[in-house]
Amino acid sequence: MRAYLRFELRRLVRDPRLMFFSIIGPVATYLIFSGWSAGERLEGLAAPVAVMIGLAGYGAVAGVLMVGSAVSQERAVGWLRQLRVTPLTSGQVVAVKTLIGSITAIPPVIAVGIVASIQHHVELSAGRWLALLLLMWTGTVPFALLGLAIGYGVSPHVAVPVNFLVFLALSVLGGLLVPAAYFPDDLRHLAHALPTYRYAELGWRSAAGQPPTATGLAVLAAWTLLFAAVAAGAYRRSTARR
Amino acid sequence: MEAPAVRLSGITRRFGAVRAVDDLDLTIETGAVVALLGPNGAGKSTTISIMLGLVPPGTGTVALFGEPAADAVRAGRVAAMLQDAGFVPGATVRDVVELARALYPRPLGTDRILATAGVTDFANRRVDRLSAGETQRARFAFALAGDPRLLVLDEPTTAMDVAARQQFWTAIRAYAADGHTVLFSTHQLHEADDVADRIVVLAAGRIVADGPPARIRAMAGVGTSARLDTAFLALTTDGPDTDGPDTKTIETEH
Repeated sequence: MRAYLRFELRRLVRDPRLMFFSIIGPVATYLIFSGWSAGERLEGLAAPVAVMIGLAGYGAVAGVLMVGSAVSQERAVGWLRQLRVTPLTSGQVVAVKTLIGSITAIPPVIAVGIVASIQHHVELSAGRWLALLLLMWTGTVPFALLGLAIGYGVSPHVAVPVNFLVFLALSVLGGLLVPAAYFPDDLRHLAHALPTYRYAELGWRSAAGQPPTATGLAVLAAWTLLFAAVAAGAYRRSTARR
Repeated sequence: MEAPAVRLSGITRRFGAVRAVDDLDLTIETGAVVALLGPNGAGKSTTISIMLGLVPPGTGTVALFGEPAADAVRAGRVAAMLQDAGFVPGATVRDVVELARALYPRPLGTDRILATAGVTDFANRRVDRLSAGETQRARFAFALAGDPRLLVLDEPTTAMDVAARQQFWTAIRAYAADGHTVLFSTHQLHEADDVADRIVVLAAGRIVADGPPARIRAMAGVGTSARLDTAFLALTTDGPDTDGPDTKTIETEH
């Protein structure tokens, strides 16, 4: 299994285009738009910090979903079938793909963090930065599973648009691009039920020195279970097909 | 006594109304080189998928080296080149070979694998930048890497040029000479004739002939000098009627 992880990491490094898009999007958005709300307070934080976390999450979710749904391509070219006639189990394959997916969350979080500290002199203690990075990384597990669900569930030419729509809906409605505080009431309630908002909330609260809320964790856990179930179901269906 | 490399008993598999494999029994002793022949749609690939545990049989049992197919695959006793399998882009030939080596308990040395499969010259090229024939050789390298006791090859020489084919079959002969078991399907009947010590002919999901190449010719009523193609056509098209062709199994000579 370590060998497969190494193999996948090497592929990731060899094709950095995937990373490029998940970094450039949130960094550019931060540079352009973070100035507008600079004097305000959002999610209990100074706006530049809150927007930084939202956009870092936006990039992280983009990368994680992209890696997951790329499984669709691997399925189509017969790679998963090839692996099934090796000693590697399907469980190990899924575990490695989930881990690889979540790792792609790290570069955009670091990149947006650097831009924020330069542009708006966002200052956090080293411990806070580290906690933030860890939370923004581990919090992507539901999205890695969602990406796998898309990758196993739909054919490659549909996977890209499905992935994009799901990503856009979750990130916009979850308040990663435009803070949910600016939403009308109904939309804000919706945002609070979405995994993207609760994921970013982990970061917001951590940066403010607060522990996660029970509600937030429960919502994230529920979505994680749902996405895991859908991914497992889609996986079973995809291997049953000849 | 050692368990046979492959034992399929009473395998049936339907896809909708079609019986892709119909009550098939097949035993392959260890160390044998067996060719699986049959026209398109005869059930070769389905039989192979069932044998490897990729597709569950509708009825019947599968054992590889006396254990369930999935266990034999997990234990690294089996490797395969499948028609509809392939590599992911972004990895080099060497990457996939090293991956295969790491996945199997007792792999061959990298240089030996690369040389045997004839991929040394393009070992550092990305698998998505290979020609079809080169891809096929890279897949052979992947299958060979773990030194599996049973090597299953579904139409392995498709897209290979003449030189590559020759090198491929030389490697297969050497591999089998070491006591490994090889099962391959092919449409190139002379390959079966030249390489296999036993030929199994499938038609409509059933075995219509089974034996050494000379026997296959004799059964089909064609002379020993006749090309196997003639025997093959006689066996798979003259089969009687609605019940499907009769099974004319004969003893393999030892």
